[in-house]
Amino acid sequence: MSDHLTLAQVDRDGAIAETLDRISPDSRAGFLRKGAILGGGIISGGAVLSALFADAAEAATENDIAIANFALTLEYLEAEFYTEAVAMGAIRNARVRRFAQVVAAHERTHVAALKGMLGARAVAKPSFNFQGTTESEAKFKATAQVLEDTGVMAYAGQAPRVDANAVLKAALAIHTVEARHASWIRHINGAPPAPRAFDQPKTMQQILAAVAGTRFISSGPAMTATGSSPSFTG
Amino acid sequence: MTKGRRQGGFIAALALLLVFVAFAYGRDPSVEDGAVDLPPIPGGAVAQSPLLTRQSGTGAETPPHPLSDPDGTSRYMAVEQQVAARAKPSSGSRVVARLGTRTPEGTTNVILALARVERGGRLWIQARLPILPNNTLGWIPRDALGGYNQVTTRLVVDLSAFRATLYRRGTVIWNARVGVGQRQWATPAGEFYIRNRLTKYSSPTYGPLAFGTSARSPVLTDWPAGGFVGIHGTNQPSLIPGRISHGCVRLENADILRLDRLMSPGTPLSIVR
Amino acid sequence: MSEHLTVEVVDADGAIRDALNDIETGTSRQGFLKKALTAGGTVVLGGVAIGGLPALVTAAPGPAQDAKILNFALLLEYLEAEFYTRASASGALSGEAREFSRVVGAHERAHVAFLKGALGSKAGAKPTFDFKGTTEDQAKFLATARVLEDTGVAAYNGQGPNLTKPTLAAAASIVSVEARHAAWVRDILQQNPAPAAFDAAKTQKQIESAVGATGFITA
Repeated sequence: MSDHLTLAQVDRDGAIAETLDRISPDSRAGFLRKGAILGGGIISGGAVLSALFADAAEAATENDIAIANFALTLEYLEAEFYTEAVAMGAIRNARVRRFAQVVAAHERTHVAALKGMLGARAVAKPSFNFQGTTESEAKFKATAQVLEDTGVMAYAGQAPRVDANAVLKAALAIHTVEARHASWIRHINGAPPAPRAFDQPKTMQQILAAVAGTRFISSGPAMTATGSSPSFTG
Repeated sequence: MTKGRRQGGFIAALALLLVFVAFAYGRDPSVEDGAVDLPPIPGGAVAQSPLLTRQSGTGAETPPHPLSDPDGTSRYMAVEQQVAARAKPSSGSRVVARLGTRTPEGTTNVILALARVERGGRLWIQARLPILPNNTLGWIPRDALGGYNQVTTRLVVDLSAFRATLYRRGTVIWNARVGVGQRQWATPAGEFYIRNRLTKYSSPTYGPLAFGTSARSPVLTDWPAGGFVGIHGTNQPSLIPGRISHGCVRLENADILRLDRLMSPGTPLSIVR
Repeated sequence: MSEHLTVEVVDADGAIRDALNDIETGTSRQGFLKKALTAGGTVVLGGVAIGGLPALVTAAPGPAQDAKILNFALLLEYLEAEFYTRASASGALSGEAREFSRVVGAHERAHVAFLKGALGSKAGAKPTFDFKGTTEDQAKFLATARVLEDTGVAAYNGQGPNLTKPTLAAAASIVSVEARHAAWVRDILQQNPAPAAFDAAKTQKQIESAVGATGFITA
């Protein structure tokens, strides 16, 4: 798979449009109420996670909330992708499997932290269809490389747009971990871990278009019907 | 109608039924949403025999990878295109059922995903199918299906004890007394799944909420919309527990509302005698 | 915040300690530092040890502060660039370590060029370095590279909130590359390329202490 993401604006069932609606900023100004406090101890060097994200929750502006929800959407996708890949059992190579397990745990942690920061303002997890990319080791490796490089470009694009310092610190702490992930899977794939001296940012719209092109976000099955009487045997 | 004519009518119907049964395995398979069905084997007992569960052989390439564990995580997938479910994971294998994308209620048609294999570079999913005979499995090309949706719950209905129990990861989180099918319309036993959820309708006999299952009545074959077994509320709670219905599992309304807060469609369902 | 940092704070994952263990005791000052660190004592290293860097950055973001921070970054990039340049020239590297030094050295030299260009006449001068043999032995090279790259990530992340937005954008495009370097060399060393879900940020003081402890900057 090339480094370049398909930018085809394929929007299955309007799911991407919904995602965009959910994460675009409200017109009203205001500050987020304090989000949930999280447990600590998962930053290298022993720094306390709860302080990082609690501060962010208190200081975030509406713009920051939109950015955090954008990040959360990407993290939902990555967390589900890696968790499913581990569960699908199609990864035979021990090095690839270790990568998947470690990164799955990281992305789940990112989801938890962003959800905790956003509290009631967090967007819901979308439904996903990974189109077989979690069910083949080769497809997994290629897709993981694209997803991680995308994550790096996404955070780089948003960091200068963040208002609150506390939110920025959280974003920077995740950004470089995504870059480590990207380098790691590239190394496993035999691709240059650091292909250039300066990584390029991409805008929110560019990233969402790229995500839409993967067709991973779907609206999920409609399981409830209203209004018509059951025709079960009774 | 005279007794003789009734008997004649009955014999004719039976003969017709036997003719259908004789040709059953050579016929084209059913469209699962009820338009044309394989005729059921009378009585339902043989249909529930594990010997008739269409577990296909798995070929030499990779062993099937399990996708659902009722005591852990189970997975269900939307049928996104009309597709044939086959006896074996091969495009040349006998068609077991043709699946549509919608249920009669208009919800997304879903299957419970039991296992996955790769054959000739193509992924196949072994699915629990909402067709007769009950407990039928089939293999579906993965690309006709949507993403994996997970549940960690499991519902067990015990027909002898008149009790339904909901488990989450193997731990009991809900249970209630139930009414089940009368003997001539016995609720079928076997492995199924919750297919959909109906609310905001105006049929008091079904209570406030109904779950559709993948189980079908083997006797009420001309029931509208395929004769699916439901789990629903009731306006006659005093009949519970007991053998009271045409096959559905009936709950007191408060119990089904509690169940709704704990169980989502896609949940695997075991009905035991 | 206290300017007295214990070794445990500076060297939370033992990386500096590991690096120092590989460095033979050289000058008496460096030996003192090593003794102080291994004894768990308190090390105070102000801007003086690094040759005239400004004191703690505490003001709101602005062009003058950007310049101070970019000079701090330039110092680190000078160090990394020189480290890789000398390692590549030493002939001590082979295989993937050699490729790593070649590629990463080019990146760090590009970072130096970019920062010097951004700073113009305000750019600080390149210090004098003594890499204490870490550029002449492949195992020491890889261990030291890991420390330097991880330190670079922590340094840039620590300064991000202090920068104006355009400068932050530039810093973001560099720090992710440092993180890629760090993960790459960690994988070469068969260590976890991404040891934690969140990368710690370190303050300028903490970074100066860490760098000072290596003794690589001699003037």
